[in-house]
Amino acid sequence: MLAVFTRELSAFFKSITGFIFMGIFLLITGIFFMSDNLIPQSPNYLSVLGGITFVFLVVVPILTMRMLSEEHHQKTDQLLLTSPLSIGSIVMGKYLAGVAVFLITLIITLLYPLQLSLVGSVSVSEIAGGYIGIFLLGCAFIAIGLFVSSLTENQVVAAVVTFGLLLLLWILDFLQQGLPGDRFSGIVFAILIVVAVAIFLYFTIRNVFIAAAATIVGGGFIAVLSVVRPASFDGLIVRVLKWFSLLARYRDFTGGLLKLSSVVYYLSFTAVFLFLTVRSLDARRWK
Amino acid sequence: MIVVQGLSKRYGQHTAVDAISFKVEEGEIVGFLGPNGAGKTTTMNIITGYISATEGKATVAGYDILENPLEVKRTIGYLPEAPPLYLDMTVREYLGFAAKIKRVGKAQRQGNLDTIMDLVKIADVRGRLIKNLSKGYRQRVGLAQALIGDPPVLILDEPTIGLDPKQIIEIRNLIKELGHERTIILSSHILPEVTEICQRVLIIHRGRIVAEDTIENLSAGLSGRSRLAIRVAGSEKEALKICRSIPSVKSAESAGCREPDTIDLLIEANEDQDIRRPLFREMAEHDLPILMMRSVDYSLEDIFIQLTTDEKGVS
Repeated sequence: MLAVFTRELSAFFKSITGFIFMGIFLLITGIFFMSDNLIPQSPNYLSVLGGITFVFLVVVPILTMRMLSEEHHQKTDQLLLTSPLSIGSIVMGKYLAGVAVFLITLIITLLYPLQLSLVGSVSVSEIAGGYIGIFLLGCAFIAIGLFVSSLTENQVVAAVVTFGLLLLLWILDFLQQGLPGDRFSGIVFAILIVVAVAIFLYFTIRNVFIAAAATIVGGGFIAVLSVVRPASFDGLIVRVLKWFSLLARYRDFTGGLLKLSSVVYYLSFTAVFLFLTVRSLDARRWK
Repeated sequence: MIVVQGLSKRYGQHTAVDAISFKVEEGEIVGFLGPNGAGKTTTMNIITGYISATEGKATVAGYDILENPLEVKRTIGYLPEAPPLYLDMTVREYLGFAAKIKRVGKAQRQGNLDTIMDLVKIADVRGRLIKNLSKGYRQRVGLAQALIGDPPVLILDEPTIGLDPKQIIEIRNLIKELGHERTIILSSHILPEVTEICQRVLIIHRGRIVAEDTIENLSAGLSGRSRLAIRVAGSEKEALKICRSIPSVKSAESAGCREPDTIDLLIEANEDQDIRRPLFREMAEHDLPILMMRSVDYSLEDIFIQLTTDEKGVS
C-alpha cells in the first residue's frame, strides 16, 4: 500500500494535475479571503470556509479523474493487479495519496486564519471545527471521484461524471423545498429505493435470487408499514434527502459544532465509496 | 507447476478461450503459438489473475488462482502484451516501484535490480524517463519488471516484439538461459522463435488447443514421409512422367522453372520409402541429369498453417 501511495503522490506532481488542483484551490480561496476578510476588514473566516465547498465541485474532479482511469487506459493496472497486492491496498494507497494532496493544500490555507489572528480576534474552536468539516467533506468527495474513475478508462468522462455527481449532492439541498411531501409520493419513493437496491445487488453479486429476495422483503416491509403506520411516509423524500445531504451536515461544523453523528456519517460515506471502488475493480475481471 | 483444466472465457456471445486444458512441468519452456485473436493473451491473463475465467480451474505451484490469488501472483513474473510501464517514471524508479509491490526485501532490492538491469542490458538508460525510450528499450524494461523478485514461473506475452534482430537474438538467449531454473510460458506468432526456444509447443486456434507436443513430434506426426525438391535438365512433361512411373512416389508436381532449360519438381514419397536412388537411376536412364536434389522438411510453418486452416489436429 505504501508503495502505491508514494508512487501516486509523486505522479500528482509529475503530471500537472496536482499543481492544477492546488493552484485553483488556493487561487479561489485566496480570492474569497480577500473579498470576505481583507477588504471589509472582517475577522469572520467561516464564510471563506463555507465558500470552499463550492471550490470542491471544480477541483475534486481534477484531482481524481486520472487516478484509476489512466491505469486502465495505459494498461498499467496489469502490473498492479498481477502483483501480490490486494485490490483493497491498491485502492487505499491511491485514495490516501489523493487525500494527502488535499491535506497539504488545506494546510497551506491555514495561513489565512493565522494572518487574521495577528490583527484581530478569531475563534480557534470555530475554525478548527470548520477545518475538520472541510477535511471530512473533501475525503468523502475524493472517494466519490475515485469510484467514478474506476468505472471508465476515459479521464474526461471521469471528470465530468464526478462533477455531475458532486453538483447533484450540492443541489440536493435546494431540491428539497420543491419536492412533494404527501403520503403517496413517499410510498412511491420507498418503492423506487427498494428497486434501486435490488438492481444494484443484482449487478454487484450477479445473483437473481438474492436480488428478488431483497425486492420481496423490501416490498413487504413497505406494504406492512403503509397499513400499520401510514404516517411514516409523510414527507419521506425530504427527510431522506436531508439525511443524505453532505453539505447540511457540513454547516454544523462551520457553526463550531462537532457532532459525532456527522463525523461517523462522513466516514461511512467515504467507506461505502471506497468499498464500491474495490468491487468495481474486482468486477472488471469478470467482464 | 502449472495445471489448467477446462478453462473458458466468454465475452457475451464471443468465446475467447474454449475449455483449454494443459500442464506445464517444472523447468519446462512451453510456447503458445497461434494467430492473432486465438486466445493466447486471454489464457495468460487468466493464469496471472488479471482476469477471471468464466469456467474452469487453474493452479500454479499448487495454489488455485481464485482461492490463493496472492500466492499465485508471488510465484509469477508476467510480461503482458503491452508492457505495463508508467511513462512518467525513470527506469530505476519504475523497477524500484515494481520491486516494492512484489515485496522484495529492502536489503536485496538494490542488488536484485542491478543484476536484472545488467541481464536485460538496460543499465545505461536507468536514469531516463520511460516515455523517452524506444520501443525496444521499453520492451526490455517490461521484461526486467517480470524478472524482479526471481519468480519461479515466467509468463511472457510476445517477449521479442518490437526489438531489432540483434536484440531478438539476445533476448531469446536470455530466455533460454533463464529457462534452466525456471518454468516459462511464452507466446509468439513468430514460428522460428518457438522452434528455437521452446521444448514443447501448444498450438492455439480459435480458443482451442489444436495440437500439443514437442516440436520434433509435431513435425514427425505430420510428415512421416519425406519430400524432395529436385532440379532436372529437360522438359517438364517428360520429367513428371518418369517420376510418376516410380512405384514408391506418391505424388510429383512441377515447381516451375528457375534456370533455363531445367525444371524444378517437388516429389513426395510414400511413407518410410527412400526414393533418391530409384529417382537417380530412372532419370539417368532417360538422360535427364539431376542438377540438384534436397529433402524438404515439414517446418513448423507447414504444421501451423495446416492446423489453423482446416482445424484438424495431427495425431
